[in-house]
Amino acid sequence: MLLVTPSTHPRLRSIAGAAAGSVLCAFVLLACSAQKPTPTPELHDARQVTDEAGRGVTVPAKIERFISLAPNLTEISYAIGAGDRLVGNTTFCDYPEEAKKVQKVGDTLQPSIERILALRPQLVLVSTASQLEAFTKQLDEHRIAVYVTDPRDLEGVFRSIENLGKLLNQERRAEEAVAQLRKRTTSVTEEVKSTKPIKVFYQLSAEPLYTAGRDSFVTDLIRRAGGVSVTSDVPEAWPRYSQEAAVAARPEAIILPTDGSMGSANSEVADGLKRSPAAVSGKVYRINGDFLSRPGPRAVDGLEALAHALHPEALKK
Amino acid sequence: MTANTEATLERGQTVGGLDEGRVTLRQTLAACSMLLVALLAAILVTSLFGSERLPTRASICAIASLGQSSCGLTPDQYAILLEIRLPRIFLAAAVGASLAAAGASYQALLRNPLAEPYLLGVSNGAAVGTMIALVFFGTWEWSRPLMAFTGALAATFVVYRLAHGRAGASPERLILAGVIVTTFLSSAIVFVTTLMDATRIRSFTFWLLGDLSGTTTSLLALAIIVAIVGTAVLAANARSLNLLMLGERDAFDLGVEVGRVRLIVFFVASLLVGSSVASSGSVGYVGLVVPHLVRLSLGSDNRITVPAAAFAGALFVVVADTVARTIIAPRELPVGAITALIGAPLFVYLLKRG
Repeated sequence: MLLVTPSTHPRLRSIAGAAAGSVLCAFVLLACSAQKPTPTPELHDARQVTDEAGRGVTVPAKIERFISLAPNLTEISYAIGAGDRLVGNTTFCDYPEEAKKVQKVGDTLQPSIERILALRPQLVLVSTASQLEAFTKQLDEHRIAVYVTDPRDLEGVFRSIENLGKLLNQERRAEEAVAQLRKRTTSVTEEVKSTKPIKVFYQLSAEPLYTAGRDSFVTDLIRRAGGVSVTSDVPEAWPRYSQEAAVAARPEAIILPTDGSMGSANSEVADGLKRSPAAVSGKVYRINGDFLSRPGPRAVDGLEALAHALHPEALKK
Repeated sequence: MTANTEATLERGQTVGGLDEGRVTLRQTLAACSMLLVALLAAILVTSLFGSERLPTRASICAIASLGQSSCGLTPDQYAILLEIRLPRIFLAAAVGASLAAAGASYQALLRNPLAEPYLLGVSNGAAVGTMIALVFFGTWEWSRPLMAFTGALAATFVVYRLAHGRAGASPERLILAGVIVTTFLSSAIVFVTTLMDATRIRSFTFWLLGDLSGTTTSLLALAIIVAIVGTAVLAANARSLNLLMLGERDAFDLGVEVGRVRLIVFFVASLLVGSSVASSGSVGYVGLVVPHLVRLSLGSDNRITVPAAAFAGALFVVVADTVARTIIAPRELPVGAITALIGAPLFVYLLKRG
């Protein structure tokens, strides 16, 4: 019982009160039994949508309280002006600054179902990356709508932004945001259009060596930035990769996602890659890991940073 | 029970005899040189396999020239062969030798066929030590083997103390103590990984299953030196271990300084486990399966078993890691998954047969 936090105490008391009340009620008035309390949210103006994982979801027409279980979804929520209705997010959600002050429900991999229920959200936003199938079922049972997003490339990120816009009745803001991001994207792709694609190795972590595979949106970002990931054909989004294969692919540039919430982690090239042409010629680029690991609005910042690193001459302007 | 002890006692005395000793030395040298040849052959052959295909003849030529000549390999191929693949194979050999020699000695000292670094919780102790080193002294390279050794030693002593209750030690009690320490330390590992950020959790879960891919030259050198010196020290104490297999009291009566030998074995075995865990995580089953196979084929005289197990362990992990790094290339599996997949069924087979 030591686990009961002060914030849940009043709630416990009200449950106890309700229990005592209903017992009394049952004693005094038999008719009382006909009036079952309905804890479910009002569903009279609900709508049926299909989420990005292809699941049918019933969501209330107006969403006043929602929770985000991934940092990219938190960033999207703020970008489309729905941040004030965000009642819970994860310990990974550190951007924008306001997101840090929102009640934390655990991290993306292990959120607390109790905390989520206590926050009474009408909707929980989940990313496929967090693998929360069992968890999703539990929320379904409590009639909390779960919307799964699954962006695999930049186009998918834009789609997620628009979908969340519709979901949270911020369609206009979402469209504006996407238009803005598209404009920046096009300007980058225009500038690198005539350049020769540079072979890139994306080092997600050095020891052991992890990279970005076919299903990662980073692979798409690299392509748009005038590069080509040497691991773009590997199945999975983030495969464990052989050092030998990385050397044999002869990358011309190595990208290290670091800084941001990663701190100083992954700021050095893996030992096996130190003699690769990219490392020897100093073509190792450290880019804010949060831009490259979160399929949200800042992915375009990542795209710009990548293009600047790979084609500094083309982006002089 | 008494008759049995006397019978083994007699055998123990003859095994310790002088003539017998010379014969044993010859057997040891014969077995070890055969295994050494097999190991060198395995190193050469496995160095030809990897996610990248290298020209066979040029590769053998480059290895034979000890890296002095590139033999027509491109700089990339040369780097792949001599800077990535071979160091990893040598690390596999050092780790295999360390774990198998440690396992063989634990089994003799604790008179328990199931005593193994992984099952006793010693590997997990070293893993916790390594993680603490990574979290608190991340940049200082030597903190990892140092803390791993400390963790292994601590786990060894805790298991040993837990196993010796008022009623004395029994094999079952030892394994129970090992299970308790292992699960306790596993929880500690889960706790520490949860405190770390998400990107590092991924590398850790992989590393915990044994991963030979990422090591530095200095850690590799340490692992090799510790493997050789450690195995030599354990082999030098093998006669005492033979007598200890009769029971600590009997060994004491036969002139074995039980306390000293126990301390040396615990210390050296922890050093072996610590240095291999610090460079490659917990590779399971090596310390269990390899000494058993060696005993099945060469008998249970520790003067042969301990050094032979080291060579055979090196061979086993070199082969297992080649499977791990080629089977789904260019992706990789943790080597611990392969040793367990081979080791567990083999062990069940040995149990049924034995």
